[in-house]
Amino acid sequence: MNNEWEVVEPGSLEGTQTTRKSLTYWQDVWRRLRQNVMAMTGLVMIVIIALLAIFGPMWTPYSYSDQSLALANIPISYEITHIKDDIYVYVHREYKLFRMEADGTIVEALKETERNTTQSYMMYDIDGVEVKFDYSSARANSSSNVMQDKYDLYVDGVLIDKYDTTKVYNKSYLLGTDSLGRDILTRVLYGARISLTVGLVASLVNLFIGVLYGGIAGYEGGKLDNIMMRIVDIINSVPLLLIVIMLMVIIEPGLKTIIITIGAVYWVGMARLVRGQVLSLKEQEFVLAARALGVSKGKIIVRHLIPNAIGPIVVSMMMAIPSAIFTEAFLSFMGLGISAPEASWGTLASDALGGIRSYPYQLAVPSIAIAVTMFAFNFLGDGLRDALDPRLRK
Amino acid sequence: MARYVVKRLFSMIVTLLIISALTFGLMHSIPGGPFTSERELAPEIEAALMEKYGLDQPLYQQYLTYIGNLLKGDLGVSMKKTGVTVNDMISQGLPTSAKVGMIAVCVILFMGIPIGIISALKQNSIIDHIVMFIATIGIAVPSFVVGTFMMYVFGELLGLIPAGGLSGWNSYIGPVVALSGFSLAYVTRLMRSSMLEVLRQDYIRTARANGLNQFKVIGKHALKNALIPVVTYVGPMVASILTGSFVVEKIFALPGMGTHFTESVTNRDYTVIMSITLFYAAVYIFMVLLVDIAYAVIDPRIKLSD
Repeated sequence: MNNEWEVVEPGSLEGTQTTRKSLTYWQDVWRRLRQNVMAMTGLVMIVIIALLAIFGPMWTPYSYSDQSLALANIPISYEITHIKDDIYVYVHREYKLFRMEADGTIVEALKETERNTTQSYMMYDIDGVEVKFDYSSARANSSSNVMQDKYDLYVDGVLIDKYDTTKVYNKSYLLGTDSLGRDILTRVLYGARISLTVGLVASLVNLFIGVLYGGIAGYEGGKLDNIMMRIVDIINSVPLLLIVIMLMVIIEPGLKTIIITIGAVYWVGMARLVRGQVLSLKEQEFVLAARALGVSKGKIIVRHLIPNAIGPIVVSMMMAIPSAIFTEAFLSFMGLGISAPEASWGTLASDALGGIRSYPYQLAVPSIAIAVTMFAFNFLGDGLRDALDPRLRK
Repeated sequence: MARYVVKRLFSMIVTLLIISALTFGLMHSIPGGPFTSERELAPEIEAALMEKYGLDQPLYQQYLTYIGNLLKGDLGVSMKKTGVTVNDMISQGLPTSAKVGMIAVCVILFMGIPIGIISALKQNSIIDHIVMFIATIGIAVPSFVVGTFMMYVFGELLGLIPAGGLSGWNSYIGPVVALSGFSLAYVTRLMRSSMLEVLRQDYIRTARANGLNQFKVIGKHALKNALIPVVTYVGPMVASILTGSFVVEKIFALPGMGTHFTESVTNRDYTVIMSITLFYAAVYIFMVLLVDIAYAVIDPRIKLSD
């Protein structure tokens, strides 16, 4: 009989096998998350923001509450005028003169030696150089948005070219100062701490209260489930903001109360989600097996049911962070959150509202900070959802 | 169906009662009352005031009186603004809030849903990318930033819209954009993702295979199923647009409900806090009920039995 089969040398087929290292669930999730550029950008951004929040306020030379009214409302970049030798001045929109260095460092707020309001001029003495700041043209050009149209500068009695200015960036206060002369950079970094703390607490509360509450309600079922879910319904049927505002009033505003209120309310969605998951999981065989082996209720919930629902839990936790940060900013903006002199992004934005026409940068800085953080968490959340979805597993 | 609605309305009343009791209890546990002010009041005057507003009675008595009046449709008198009833405040503030809110809701529904569908149909095209980019921005930027930005750029710099108040049609642009921004972005994203999910289903392939045109496939078969997650979101959204308008009302100086509410909270104006909270809660619960009914209309598989 003709044998068409050939004997293969041992080991000769090893190279052709299509083997792949077997990955655990989390390794696979991480592998897919890494391929998602947006999600990784978000993750890197979050790490950077967290590092800045923790260490940032340490290396800025100011504290978040340091005030100096003389240095109020100084923008991020300005036009400085050369007076003489190494003397530069910056004419502030509020008709104040600052002595500058050529690179944009603020030396001091100048004090006028003479102030003549009828003739509309002020005299300054800078290291023996007499500077006359004449703002008599201000009224005629009041509609102009260019500061230079509104004044004339005389050095030792000679009119100098006021349009001959150089644009420099603020070296003393990188992001300018607010209406009380506080460093905005320090305050924004400090605000990042508050926002991230709030986000972190919201996600932890979600994890501990929400997951356990939902797990117990779902596993126990029956009357207990009914009562527990009615409580959730009641909390859920009052607009979240209303509860938070009411609670903020009882306990006085501050970071601690924001954390308590957000903690009191934010677990509701998670509880529902977990209950739904547990309801379908508890009918499966592995739970029956565990029960047959005599595993206790608590252990079944914590060790068997919750790990099986971990995907949606992680995504929901991730999404709770930006929404908590949003709520905090919103409350602080309404004046119900962090109180002065502490700074959060919401209060910074709210403080900037009054001066929005003259100093839009004061609003722009915290707004950008909020938006960037939101982007980061949303991108990471979206990426995690895709990575954890077993249907998209390749 | 009718039985279900009646049952739900009943549980709505129970929920509202619980909320009112909670609010009442919380409110009275706040240190300080409506008559605490910088200037010390003479004890006789204070006592007279307390008596006038019934604050001298025991708490449960006050609560029962309040509920009794509420059932008669009387929401009480403001303790801070002499002679102004809460009914007045609501009838004065609600039209403004409702008008701006309703326009915002219309914008969200009539822009968000179609844009989401188009984005899903043209997945990974340039249109899809642009839409998703704008929608992500919409989710990331808080409404108070959008509001101030609108006011600053279009109001101050370009002079296109008035800076505050509601005078002409163009004064609605700012508040509506600020109010609808987040939800519009959210609905668009939700619509897109649920549409993509539905388009992958077998029955859509069957419908296509049977030679139905694109319009019928999308409009008749896909849309109904894809709408369910959107409907879930839209109900509470409508209510929270009414409540969330605090900020927008503050920025654009609109004489709406939100202004009254925040004022009353800081003033400890008991009756106003109580009534506006209940009002909002009622609107909210009612919207959730509407959503549940809408489910049954859209998806006949869902039975309103419980």
